[in-house]
Amino acid sequence: MLLWFERKCLASLQLLTILYCSLRRKKSLWSLILVGFALESLKENCRPDGRELGEFRTTTVNIGSITTADGSALVKLGNTTVICGIKAEFAQPPAESTNKGYIVPNVDLPPLCSSRFRPGPPGEEAQAASQFIADVIENSEIIMKEDLCIAHGKLAWVLYCDFICLDYDGNILDACTFALLAALKNVQLPKVTINEETGLAEVDLKQTNPLNIRKHPVATSFAVFDDTILIVDPTAEEEDLATGTVTIVMDEEGRLCSVHKPGGSGLTAAKLQDCITRAITRHKEVKKLIDKVIKSIKIK
Amino acid sequence: MAGLELLSDEGYRVDGRRAGELRKVRARMGVFAKADGSAYIEQGNTKALAVVYGPHEMRGSRSKALHDRALVNCQYSMATFSTGERKRRPHGDRKSSELTLHLKQTFEAAILTQLYPRSQIDIYVQILQADGGNYCACVNAATLATIDAGIPMRDYVCASSAGFIEDTPLADLNYVEEAAGGPQVALALLPKSDQIALLEMNSRLHEDHLEQVIEAASKACKDVYAVLDQVVRDHVHEVTTLLGE
Repeated sequence: MLLWFERKCLASLQLLTILYCSLRRKKSLWSLILVGFALESLKENCRPDGRELGEFRTTTVNIGSITTADGSALVKLGNTTVICGIKAEFAQPPAESTNKGYIVPNVDLPPLCSSRFRPGPPGEEAQAASQFIADVIENSEIIMKEDLCIAHGKLAWVLYCDFICLDYDGNILDACTFALLAALKNVQLPKVTINEETGLAEVDLKQTNPLNIRKHPVATSFAVFDDTILIVDPTAEEEDLATGTVTIVMDEEGRLCSVHKPGGSGLTAAKLQDCITRAITRHKEVKKLIDKVIKSIKIK
Repeated sequence: MAGLELLSDEGYRVDGRRAGELRKVRARMGVFAKADGSAYIEQGNTKALAVVYGPHEMRGSRSKALHDRALVNCQYSMATFSTGERKRRPHGDRKSSELTLHLKQTFEAAILTQLYPRSQIDIYVQILQADGGNYCACVNAATLATIDAGIPMRDYVCASSAGFIEDTPLADLNYVEEAAGGPQVALALLPKSDQIALLEMNSRLHEDHLEQVIEAASKACKDVYAVLDQVVRDHVHEVTTLLGE
Protein backbone atom coordinates (compact mmCIF):
# COMPACT_ATOMS: atom_id res chain seq x y z
CA MET A 1 0.00 0.00 0.00
CA LEU A 2 1.26 3.46 -0.81
CA LEU A 3 1.72 6.18 1.77
CA TRP A 4 -0.83 9.02 1.86
CA PHE A 5 1.67 11.40 0.31
CA GLU A 6 2.55 9.02 -2.49
CA ARG A 7 -1.14 8.48 -3.22
CA LYS A 8 -1.73 12.21 -3.45
CA CYS A 9 1.24 12.60 -5.83
CA LEU A 10 -0.04 9.76 -7.95
CA ALA A 11 -3.52 11.32 -8.02
CA SER A 12 -2.25 14.75 -9.09
CA LEU A 13 0.04 13.26 -11.73
CA GLN A 14 -2.85 11.27 -13.07
CA LEU A 15 -5.03 14.37 -13.10
CA LEU A 16 -2.33 16.33 -14.97
CA THR A 17 -1.99 13.67 -17.66
CA ILE A 18 -5.75 13.45 -18.02
CA LEU A 19 -5.95 17.25 -18.40
CA TYR A 20 -3.12 17.19 -20.95
CA CYS A 21 -4.78 14.39 -22.87
CA SER A 22 -8.15 16.11 -22.99
CA LEU A 23 -6.55 19.41 -24.01
CA ARG A 24 -4.60 17.88 -26.85
CA ARG A 25 -7.30 15.34 -27.69
CA LYS A 26 -4.72 12.78 -28.69
CA LYS A 27 -6.53 9.52 -28.46
CA SER A 28 -4.16 6.81 -29.62
CA LEU A 29 -0.77 6.74 -27.92
CA TRP A 30 -1.72 8.78 -24.88
CA SER A 31 -4.86 6.72 -24.35
CA LEU A 32 -2.75 3.59 -24.07
CA ILE A 33 -0.37 5.25 -21.65
CA LEU A 34 -3.24 6.78 -19.74
CA VAL A 35 -5.24 3.59 -19.42
CA GLY A 36 -2.17 1.78 -18.16
CA PHE A 37 -1.54 4.58 -15.71
CA ALA A 38 -5.19 4.64 -14.65
CA LEU A 39 -5.21 0.90 -14.04
CA GLU A 40 -2.08 1.09 -11.93
CA SER A 41 -3.44 3.85 -9.76
CA LEU A 42 -6.89 2.26 -9.52
CA LYS A 43 -5.29 -0.93 -8.28
CA GLU A 44 -3.94 1.20 -5.46
CA ASN A 45 -7.50 2.43 -4.73
CA CYS A 46 -6.77 5.91 -6.08
CA ARG A 47 -8.97 8.11 -8.32
CA PRO A 48 -8.05 11.54 -9.75
CA ASP A 49 -10.42 13.41 -7.46
CA GLY A 50 -9.27 11.47 -4.40
CA ARG A 51 -12.41 9.36 -4.03
CA GLU A 52 -12.51 5.71 -3.00
CA LEU A 53 -13.51 3.22 -5.68
CA GLY A 54 -16.95 2.80 -4.11
CA GLU A 55 -17.56 6.42 -3.19
CA PHE A 56 -20.17 8.69 -4.78
CA ARG A 57 -19.70 12.38 -5.45
CA THR A 58 -21.57 14.92 -3.34
CA THR A 59 -25.23 14.78 -4.33
CA THR A 60 -27.49 17.83 -3.95
CA VAL A 61 -31.11 18.23 -5.00
CA ASN A 62 -33.32 21.31 -5.28
CA ILE A 63 -37.07 20.84 -5.76
CA GLY A 64 -39.75 23.12 -7.12
CA SER A 65 -37.62 25.99 -8.39
CA ILE A 66 -39.33 26.32 -11.79
CA THR A 67 -42.81 27.64 -11.14
CA THR A 68 -44.01 27.45 -14.77
CA ALA A 69 -43.56 23.67 -14.66
CA ASP A 70 -45.98 21.45 -12.80
CA GLY A 71 -43.06 19.77 -11.07
CA SER A 72 -39.34 20.39 -11.24
CA ALA A 73 -36.08 19.24 -9.72
CA LEU A 74 -32.42 20.18 -10.12
CA VAL A 75 -29.89 17.46 -9.27
CA LYS A 76 -26.12 17.91 -8.93
CA LEU A 77 -23.92 14.82 -8.78
CA GLY A 78 -20.51 16.44 -8.24
CA ASN A 79 -20.26 18.66 -11.32
CA THR A 80 -22.91 16.84 -13.37
CA THR A 81 -26.05 18.99 -13.30
CA VAL A 82 -29.43 17.88 -14.66
CA ILE A 83 -32.70 19.78 -14.41
CA CYS A 84 -36.03 18.00 -14.88
CA GLY A 85 -39.26 19.83 -15.63
CA ILE A 86 -42.63 18.07 -15.77
CA LYS A 87 -45.60 19.53 -17.62
CA ALA A 88 -49.02 17.92 -17.55
CA GLU A 89 -51.39 18.17 -20.50
CA PHE A 90 -54.62 16.52 -21.58
CA ALA A 91 -54.88 13.80 -24.19
CA GLN A 92 -57.13 11.00 -25.29
CA PRO A 93 -56.14 7.63 -23.82
CA PRO A 94 -54.65 5.13 -26.28
CA ALA A 95 -57.14 2.94 -28.11
CA GLU A 96 -55.77 -0.37 -26.82
CA SER A 97 -55.85 0.63 -23.13
CA THR A 98 -58.57 3.17 -22.56
CA ASN A 99 -57.87 3.60 -18.86
CA LYS A 100 -54.21 4.62 -19.08
CA GLY A 101 -52.46 7.96 -19.38
CA TYR A 102 -49.01 8.66 -20.81
CA ILE A 103 -45.59 9.50 -19.39
CA VAL A 104 -43.20 10.83 -22.03
CA PRO A 105 -39.55 11.34 -21.02
CA ASN A 106 -37.06 13.29 -23.12
CA VAL A 107 -33.38 13.81 -22.32
CA ASP A 108 -31.59 16.73 -23.95
CA LEU A 109 -27.80 17.01 -23.99
CA PRO A 110 -27.36 20.52 -25.41
CA PRO A 111 -24.00 21.94 -26.57
CA LEU A 112 -23.96 24.16 -23.50
CA CYS A 113 -23.29 21.25 -21.18
CA SER A 114 -20.06 20.16 -22.81
CA SER A 115 -17.94 20.93 -25.87
CA ARG A 116 -18.30 17.32 -27.04
CA PHE A 117 -21.93 17.97 -28.14
CA ARG A 118 -22.72 19.88 -31.33
CA PRO A 119 -25.86 21.93 -31.97
CA GLY A 120 -28.47 20.07 -33.98
CA PRO A 121 -30.87 17.14 -33.56
CA PRO A 122 -30.48 14.89 -30.48
CA GLY A 123 -27.41 12.68 -30.72
CA GLU A 124 -27.03 8.99 -29.88
CA GLU A 125 -26.29 9.49 -26.22
CA ALA A 126 -29.33 11.70 -25.64
CA GLN A 127 -31.65 9.29 -27.42
CA ALA A 128 -30.22 6.29 -25.57
CA ALA A 129 -30.68 8.11 -22.26
CA SER A 130 -34.30 8.98 -23.15
CA GLN A 131 -35.00 5.34 -23.93
CA PHE A 132 -33.33 4.24 -20.70
CA ILE A 133 -35.54 6.56 -18.64
CA ALA A 134 -38.63 5.35 -20.52
CA ASP A 135 -37.66 1.75 -19.66
CA VAL A 136 -37.10 2.64 -15.99
CA ILE A 137 -40.56 4.25 -15.80
CA GLU A 138 -42.17 1.25 -17.47
CA ASN A 139 -40.32 -1.44 -15.51
CA SER A 140 -40.32 0.08 -12.06
CA GLU A 141 -44.00 1.15 -12.14
CA ILE A 142 -43.04 4.37 -10.41
CA ILE A 143 -46.49 5.64 -11.36
CA MET A 144 -49.37 3.46 -12.47
CA LYS A 145 -50.59 4.81 -15.78
CA GLU A 146 -54.12 4.00 -14.62
CA ASP A 147 -53.76 6.76 -12.01
CA LEU A 148 -53.37 9.27 -14.85
CA CYS A 149 -56.74 8.48 -16.37
CA ILE A 150 -59.48 11.05 -15.75
CA ALA A 151 -62.39 9.69 -17.79
CA HIS A 152 -62.36 6.22 -19.32
CA GLY A 153 -61.69 6.40 -23.02
CA LYS A 154 -62.14 10.17 -23.16
CA LEU A 155 -59.54 12.08 -21.16
CA ALA A 156 -56.24 11.31 -19.51
CA TRP A 157 -53.15 13.15 -18.32
CA VAL A 158 -49.93 13.20 -20.31
CA LEU A 159 -46.84 13.91 -18.21
CA TYR A 160 -44.03 15.32 -20.33
CA CYS A 161 -40.77 14.84 -18.40
CA ASP A 162 -38.04 16.97 -19.96
CA PHE A 163 -34.47 16.61 -18.75
CA ILE A 164 -31.86 19.20 -19.66
CA CYS A 165 -28.26 18.50 -18.79
CA LEU A 166 -26.64 21.78 -17.81
CA ASP A 167 -23.15 20.49 -17.02
CA TYR A 168 -21.83 17.15 -18.26
CA ASP A 169 -19.30 15.39 -16.05
CA GLY A 170 -20.26 11.75 -16.47
CA ASN A 171 -22.99 9.56 -14.95
CA ILE A 172 -25.95 11.16 -16.68
CA LEU A 173 -28.22 8.17 -16.14
CA ASP A 174 -28.02 8.31 -12.34
CA ALA A 175 -28.61 12.04 -12.29
CA CYS A 176 -31.62 11.80 -14.65
CA THR A 177 -33.25 8.98 -12.67
CA PHE A 178 -32.81 10.90 -9.44
CA ALA A 179 -34.17 14.09 -11.03
CA LEU A 180 -37.18 12.16 -12.34
CA LEU A 181 -38.00 10.79 -8.90
CA ALA A 182 -37.60 14.17 -7.19
CA ALA A 183 -39.64 16.03 -9.83
CA LEU A 184 -42.48 13.47 -9.80
CA LYS A 185 -42.69 13.83 -6.02
CA ASN A 186 -43.08 17.56 -6.55
CA VAL A 187 -45.87 17.41 -9.16
CA GLN A 188 -49.25 18.83 -8.15
CA LEU A 189 -52.09 17.99 -10.54
CA PRO A 190 -55.31 20.03 -10.39
CA LYS A 191 -58.62 18.28 -9.86
CA VAL A 192 -60.51 17.67 -13.10
CA THR A 193 -64.21 16.90 -13.35
CA ILE A 194 -66.16 16.15 -16.49
CA ASN A 195 -69.30 18.24 -16.79
CA GLU A 196 -72.22 15.81 -17.36
CA GLU A 197 -74.20 18.04 -19.74
CA THR A 198 -71.52 19.57 -21.95
CA GLY A 199 -69.02 16.70 -21.75
CA LEU A 200 -66.21 19.24 -21.29
CA ALA A 201 -63.52 19.05 -18.65
CA GLU A 202 -63.53 21.53 -15.80
CA VAL A 203 -60.20 22.19 -14.16
CA ASP A 204 -60.11 23.40 -10.57
CA LEU A 205 -56.68 24.98 -10.11
CA LYS A 206 -57.21 25.64 -6.42
CA GLN A 207 -57.54 21.96 -5.54
CA THR A 208 -54.34 20.13 -6.39
CA ASN A 209 -53.27 16.62 -5.54
CA PRO A 210 -49.78 15.17 -5.56
CA LEU A 211 -49.05 12.09 -7.66
CA ASN A 212 -49.20 8.64 -6.12
CA ILE A 213 -45.56 7.48 -6.31
CA ARG A 214 -45.66 3.72 -5.83
CA LYS A 215 -42.03 2.79 -6.13
CA HIS A 216 -38.78 4.71 -5.78
CA PRO A 217 -36.26 3.51 -8.36
CA VAL A 218 -32.67 4.67 -7.88
CA ALA A 219 -29.93 4.12 -10.46
CA THR A 220 -26.29 3.33 -9.69
CA SER A 221 -23.71 3.39 -12.47
CA PHE A 222 -20.33 1.71 -12.56
CA ALA A 223 -17.40 1.93 -14.95
CA VAL A 224 -15.46 -1.25 -15.72
CA PHE A 225 -11.75 -1.25 -16.38
CA ASP A 226 -10.31 -4.30 -18.09
CA ASP A 227 -12.72 -6.89 -16.61
CA THR A 228 -11.28 -6.47 -13.15
CA ILE A 229 -11.80 -3.06 -11.61
CA LEU A 230 -15.19 -1.51 -10.92
CA ILE A 231 -15.61 2.13 -9.91
CA VAL A 232 -18.84 3.76 -8.87
CA ASP A 233 -20.13 7.09 -10.24
CA PRO A 234 -17.55 7.71 -13.02
CA THR A 235 -16.67 11.25 -14.06
CA ALA A 236 -16.47 12.15 -17.76
CA GLU A 237 -12.72 11.39 -17.95
CA GLU A 238 -13.18 8.04 -16.22
CA GLU A 239 -16.05 7.16 -18.59
CA ASP A 240 -13.84 7.96 -21.60
CA LEU A 241 -11.11 5.66 -20.34
CA ALA A 242 -13.37 2.85 -19.17
CA THR A 243 -13.77 -0.33 -21.18
CA GLY A 244 -17.42 -0.80 -20.19
CA THR A 245 -20.25 0.54 -18.04
CA VAL A 246 -23.02 -1.06 -15.97
CA THR A 247 -26.11 0.65 -14.57
CA ILE A 248 -28.31 -1.01 -11.96
CA VAL A 249 -31.74 0.36 -11.02
CA MET A 250 -33.20 -0.83 -7.72
CA ASP A 251 -36.34 0.02 -5.81
CA GLU A 252 -36.90 0.12 -2.07
CA GLU A 253 -37.99 -3.51 -1.69
CA GLY A 254 -34.62 -4.67 -3.00
CA ARG A 255 -36.13 -5.53 -6.37
CA LEU A 256 -34.11 -5.04 -9.52
CA CYS A 257 -35.92 -2.78 -11.99
CA SER A 258 -33.24 -2.66 -14.63
CA VAL A 259 -29.74 -3.94 -15.32
CA HIS A 260 -28.21 -2.04 -18.21
CA LYS A 261 -24.89 -3.25 -19.53
CA PRO A 262 -24.39 -1.95 -23.08
CA GLY A 263 -21.58 -4.12 -24.41
CA GLY A 264 -18.06 -3.38 -23.24
CA SER A 265 -15.66 -5.75 -21.51
CA GLY A 266 -17.04 -8.81 -19.77
CA LEU A 267 -18.07 -9.00 -16.13
CA THR A 268 -18.21 -12.08 -13.91
CA ALA A 269 -21.39 -12.93 -12.00
CA ALA A 270 -19.58 -12.31 -8.72
CA LYS A 271 -18.65 -8.76 -9.79
CA LEU A 272 -22.23 -8.13 -10.86
CA GLN A 273 -23.39 -9.24 -7.42
CA ASP A 274 -20.98 -6.70 -5.87
CA CYS A 275 -22.59 -4.02 -8.04
CA ILE A 276 -26.04 -5.01 -6.84
CA THR A 277 -24.93 -4.86 -3.21
CA ARG A 278 -23.52 -1.36 -3.72
CA ALA A 279 -26.72 -0.31 -5.47
CA ILE A 280 -28.75 -1.35 -2.41
CA THR A 281 -26.71 0.92 -0.10
CA ARG A 282 -26.91 3.76 -2.63
CA HIS A 283 -30.69 3.42 -2.67
CA LYS A 284 -30.83 4.00 1.08
CA GLU A 285 -28.63 7.12 0.78
CA VAL A 286 -30.76 8.60 -1.98
CA LYS A 287 -34.06 7.79 -0.29
CA LYS A 288 -32.89 9.55 2.88
CA LEU A 289 -31.89 12.63 0.87
CA ILE A 290 -35.20 12.83 -0.97
CA ASP A 291 -37.23 12.39 2.21
CA LYS A 292 -35.25 15.18 3.84
CA VAL A 293 -35.89 17.57 0.96
CA ILE A 294 -39.62 16.75 0.73
CA LYS A 295 -40.01 17.23 4.47
CA SER A 296 -38.25 20.61 4.35
CA ILE A 297 -40.65 21.80 1.66
CA LYS A 298 -43.72 20.64 3.60
CA ILE A 299 -42.65 22.56 6.69
CA LYS A 300 -42.59 25.87 4.81
CA MET B 1 -63.90 47.92 -19.25
CA ALA B 2 -63.20 44.67 -17.45
CA GLY B 3 -59.54 43.84 -17.86
CA LEU B 4 -56.19 43.88 -16.20
CA GLU B 5 -55.15 47.36 -15.15
CA LEU B 6 -51.50 47.63 -16.12
CA LEU B 7 -51.03 50.90 -14.32
CA SER B 8 -53.34 51.81 -11.45
CA ASP B 9 -54.37 55.36 -10.57
CA GLU B 10 -51.88 55.46 -7.71
CA GLY B 11 -49.10 54.53 -10.13
CA TYR B 12 -48.66 50.84 -9.24
CA ARG B 13 -48.24 48.09 -11.84
CA VAL B 14 -49.70 44.57 -11.73
CA ASP B 15 -46.86 43.24 -9.57
CA GLY B 16 -46.77 46.26 -7.27
CA ARG B 17 -43.82 48.03 -8.88
CA ARG B 18 -43.59 51.70 -9.78
CA ALA B 19 -43.35 52.77 -13.43
CA GLY B 20 -39.57 53.04 -13.57
CA GLU B 21 -38.74 50.23 -11.14
CA LEU B 22 -36.85 47.10 -12.19
CA ARG B 23 -37.58 43.58 -11.00
CA LYS B 24 -35.20 42.07 -8.46
CA VAL B 25 -32.00 40.96 -10.20
CA ARG B 26 -30.00 38.08 -8.72
CA ALA B 27 -26.98 36.76 -10.54
CA ARG B 28 -24.12 34.31 -10.02
CA MET B 29 -21.01 33.78 -12.09
CA GLY B 30 -18.91 30.67 -12.52
CA VAL B 31 -21.71 28.19 -11.88
CA PHE B 32 -20.41 25.38 -14.08
CA ALA B 33 -17.06 23.68 -13.90
CA LYS B 34 -16.84 22.39 -17.47
CA ALA B 35 -17.49 25.64 -19.34
CA ASP B 36 -14.93 28.40 -19.87
CA GLY B 37 -17.41 30.94 -18.54
CA SER B 38 -20.90 30.60 -17.13
CA ALA B 39 -23.50 32.72 -15.39
CA TYR B 40 -27.02 32.40 -14.04
CA ILE B 41 -29.38 35.35 -13.71
CA GLU B 42 -32.87 35.79 -12.28
CA GLN B 43 -34.81 38.92 -13.20
CA GLY B 44 -38.00 38.60 -11.20
CA ASN B 45 -39.34 35.21 -12.30
CA THR B 46 -37.35 35.02 -15.54
CA LYS B 47 -34.43 32.61 -15.08
CA ALA B 48 -31.68 32.50 -17.68
CA LEU B 49 -28.44 30.58 -17.93
CA ALA B 50 -25.51 31.50 -20.18
CA VAL B 51 -22.46 29.41 -20.99
CA VAL B 52 -19.44 30.54 -23.01
CA TYR B 53 -16.86 28.31 -24.64
CA GLY B 54 -13.88 29.89 -26.25
CA PRO B 55 -12.05 31.30 -27.92
CA HIS B 56 -11.16 28.00 -29.55
CA GLU B 57 -10.40 26.66 -33.01
CA MET B 58 -13.17 26.64 -35.58
CA ARG B 59 -15.37 23.59 -35.30
CA GLY B 60 -17.18 22.30 -38.33
CA SER B 61 -16.46 24.15 -41.56
CA ARG B 62 -13.06 25.82 -41.56
CA SER B 63 -14.19 27.88 -44.52
CA LYS B 64 -16.41 30.00 -42.28
CA ALA B 65 -13.39 31.23 -40.33
CA LEU B 66 -12.80 34.97 -40.57
CA HIS B 67 -9.20 35.85 -41.27
CA ASP B 68 -9.05 38.92 -39.07
CA ARG B 69 -11.65 38.34 -36.34
CA ALA B 70 -13.21 35.69 -34.15
CA LEU B 71 -16.55 34.23 -35.13
CA VAL B 72 -19.23 34.64 -32.47
CA ASN B 73 -21.61 31.69 -32.51
CA CYS B 74 -24.75 31.96 -30.38
CA GLN B 75 -27.62 29.69 -29.63
CA TYR B 76 -30.76 30.78 -27.82
CA SER B 77 -32.90 27.98 -26.45
CA MET B 78 -35.94 27.86 -24.17
CA ALA B 79 -36.66 24.88 -21.96
CA THR B 80 -39.89 23.14 -22.91
CA PHE B 81 -41.19 23.70 -19.38
CA SER B 82 -40.24 27.38 -19.28
CA THR B 83 -43.53 28.79 -20.49
CA GLY B 84 -47.13 28.38 -19.28
CA GLU B 85 -47.97 26.17 -22.27
CA ARG B 86 -45.39 23.49 -23.01
CA LYS B 87 -43.08 24.69 -25.74
CA ARG B 88 -42.88 22.04 -28.44
CA ARG B 89 -39.74 23.30 -30.20
CA PRO B 90 -37.06 24.53 -27.79
CA HIS B 91 -34.95 25.98 -30.57
CA GLY B 92 -34.96 26.17 -34.34
CA ASP B 93 -38.31 27.90 -34.58
CA ARG B 94 -38.53 31.39 -36.03
CA LYS B 95 -38.63 33.36 -32.79
CA SER B 96 -35.63 31.52 -31.34
CA SER B 97 -33.66 31.91 -34.57
CA GLU B 98 -34.39 35.63 -34.59
CA LEU B 99 -33.27 36.02 -30.99
CA THR B 100 -30.15 33.95 -31.72
CA LEU B 101 -29.26 36.34 -34.52
CA HIS B 102 -29.90 39.38 -32.31
CA LEU B 103 -27.65 37.98 -29.59
CA LYS B 104 -24.91 37.33 -32.13
CA GLN B 105 -25.12 40.83 -33.52
CA THR B 106 -25.15 42.38 -30.05
CA PHE B 107 -22.08 40.52 -28.90
CA GLU B 108 -20.16 41.06 -32.09
CA ALA B 109 -20.44 44.74 -31.30
CA ALA B 110 -19.10 44.36 -27.79
CA ILE B 111 -16.45 41.61 -27.85
CA LEU B 112 -12.98 42.60 -29.10
CA THR B 113 -13.03 39.99 -31.83
CA GLN B 114 -9.95 41.35 -33.62
CA LEU B 115 -7.79 39.84 -30.87
CA TYR B 116 -8.66 36.28 -31.91
CA PRO B 117 -8.51 35.85 -35.69
CA ARG B 118 -9.60 32.51 -37.20
CA SER B 119 -11.16 31.32 -33.97
CA GLN B 120 -14.65 30.82 -32.59
CA ILE B 121 -16.43 31.96 -29.45
CA ASP B 122 -19.59 30.00 -28.54
CA ILE B 123 -22.29 31.63 -26.43
CA TYR B 124 -25.15 29.32 -25.42
CA VAL B 125 -28.12 30.73 -23.57
CA GLN B 126 -30.89 28.69 -22.01
CA ILE B 127 -34.10 30.08 -20.56
CA LEU B 128 -35.31 27.93 -17.65
CA GLN B 129 -38.35 30.02 -16.79
CA ALA B 130 -39.83 32.74 -19.00
CA ASP B 131 -41.73 35.64 -17.45
CA GLY B 132 -41.09 38.48 -19.86
CA GLY B 133 -37.82 40.15 -20.81
CA ASN B 134 -36.33 36.93 -22.18
CA TYR B 135 -33.94 38.63 -24.59
CA CYS B 136 -32.81 41.10 -21.94
CA ALA B 137 -32.13 38.42 -19.35
CA CYS B 138 -30.14 36.48 -21.96
CA VAL B 139 -27.99 39.46 -22.85
CA ASN B 140 -27.27 40.20 -19.19
CA ALA B 141 -26.43 36.56 -18.47
CA ALA B 142 -24.23 36.32 -21.56
CA THR B 143 -22.33 39.46 -20.51
CA LEU B 144 -21.55 37.94 -17.12
CA ALA B 145 -20.58 34.62 -18.69
CA THR B 146 -18.25 36.31 -21.19
CA ILE B 147 -16.59 38.23 -18.36
CA ASP B 148 -16.27 34.97 -16.42
CA ALA B 149 -14.59 33.37 -19.45
CA GLY B 150 -12.05 36.19 -19.50
CA ILE B 151 -12.90 37.30 -23.03
CA PRO B 152 -12.12 41.03 -23.44
CA MET B 153 -15.08 43.28 -24.20
CA ARG B 154 -15.42 46.98 -24.96
CA ASP B 155 -17.89 47.44 -22.16
CA TYR B 156 -20.64 45.55 -20.35
CA VAL B 157 -23.73 44.93 -22.47
CA CYS B 158 -26.81 45.63 -20.40
CA ALA B 159 -30.31 45.14 -21.74
CA SER B 160 -33.74 46.10 -20.58
CA SER B 161 -37.19 46.42 -22.03
CA ALA B 162 -39.58 49.34 -21.78
CA GLY B 163 -43.23 49.93 -22.62
CA PHE B 164 -45.64 52.81 -22.81
CA ILE B 165 -49.03 52.78 -21.05
CA GLU B 166 -51.29 55.80 -20.45
CA ASP B 167 -48.59 58.33 -21.29
CA THR B 168 -46.13 56.74 -18.83
CA PRO B 169 -43.06 54.79 -19.88
CA LEU B 170 -42.73 51.49 -17.94
CA ALA B 171 -39.34 49.86 -17.41
CA ASP B 172 -38.62 46.09 -17.39
CA LEU B 173 -41.86 44.53 -18.60
CA ASN B 174 -43.01 41.18 -17.27
CA TYR B 175 -45.01 38.60 -19.25
CA VAL B 176 -48.44 40.05 -18.43
CA GLU B 177 -47.39 43.52 -19.59
CA GLU B 178 -45.78 42.16 -22.77
CA ALA B 179 -48.82 40.08 -23.63
CA ALA B 180 -51.13 43.09 -23.26
CA GLY B 181 -49.99 44.20 -26.72
CA GLY B 182 -48.85 47.75 -26.08
CA PRO B 183 -45.69 49.21 -27.59
CA GLN B 184 -42.47 47.63 -26.31
CA VAL B 185 -38.87 48.54 -26.82
CA ALA B 186 -35.92 46.20 -26.14
CA LEU B 187 -32.66 48.03 -25.72
CA ALA B 188 -29.12 46.70 -25.35
CA LEU B 189 -26.72 49.39 -24.21
CA LEU B 190 -23.01 49.78 -23.60
CA PRO B 191 -23.40 51.90 -20.45
CA LYS B 192 -20.10 53.76 -20.14
CA SER B 193 -20.13 55.13 -23.68
CA ASP B 194 -23.93 55.30 -23.87
CA GLN B 195 -23.85 53.44 -27.19
CA ILE B 196 -26.81 51.43 -28.31
CA ALA B 197 -25.90 47.91 -29.45
CA LEU B 198 -29.44 46.83 -30.28
CA LEU B 199 -32.82 48.56 -30.35
CA GLU B 200 -36.01 46.79 -31.26
CA MET B 201 -39.51 48.17 -31.09
CA ASN B 202 -42.82 46.31 -31.46
CA SER B 203 -46.36 47.52 -31.98
CA ARG B 204 -47.11 51.21 -32.72
CA LEU B 205 -45.72 54.19 -30.91
CA HIS B 206 -46.08 57.87 -31.77
CA GLU B 207 -42.70 59.45 -32.55
CA ASP B 208 -43.24 62.14 -29.91
CA HIS B 209 -43.11 59.47 -27.23
CA LEU B 210 -40.13 57.56 -28.60
CA GLU B 211 -37.50 59.62 -26.82
CA GLN B 212 -39.23 59.18 -23.46
CA VAL B 213 -39.39 55.42 -23.85
CA ILE B 214 -35.76 55.10 -24.94
CA GLU B 215 -34.78 57.32 -22.01
CA ALA B 216 -36.65 55.01 -19.62
CA ALA B 217 -35.01 51.93 -21.15
CA SER B 218 -31.54 53.54 -20.95
CA LYS B 219 -32.03 54.37 -17.31
CA ALA B 220 -33.14 50.80 -16.64
CA CYS B 221 -30.04 49.49 -18.46
CA LYS B 222 -27.80 51.68 -16.31
CA ASP B 223 -29.52 50.33 -13.19
CA VAL B 224 -28.89 46.79 -14.40
CA TYR B 225 -25.27 47.75 -15.09
CA ALA B 226 -24.85 48.82 -11.47
CA VAL B 227 -26.14 45.44 -10.27
CA LEU B 228 -24.04 43.40 -12.72
CA ASP B 229 -20.91 45.36 -11.89
CA GLN B 230 -21.42 44.64 -8.19
CA VAL B 231 -21.90 40.92 -8.96
CA VAL B 232 -18.63 40.82 -10.90
CA ARG B 233 -16.72 42.61 -8.17
CA ASP B 234 -18.12 40.33 -5.48
CA HIS B 235 -17.24 37.27 -7.55
CA VAL B 236 -13.67 38.45 -8.12
CA HIS B 237 -13.33 39.19 -4.42
CA GLU B 238 -14.59 35.70 -3.55
CA VAL B 239 -12.25 34.02 -6.02
CA THR B 240 -9.17 35.93 -4.87
CA THR B 241 -9.99 35.14 -1.25
CA LEU B 242 -10.23 31.44 -2.11
CA LEU B 243 -6.92 31.63 -3.98
CA GLY B 244 -5.42 33.03 -0.82
CA GLU B 245 -4.46 36.50 -2.01
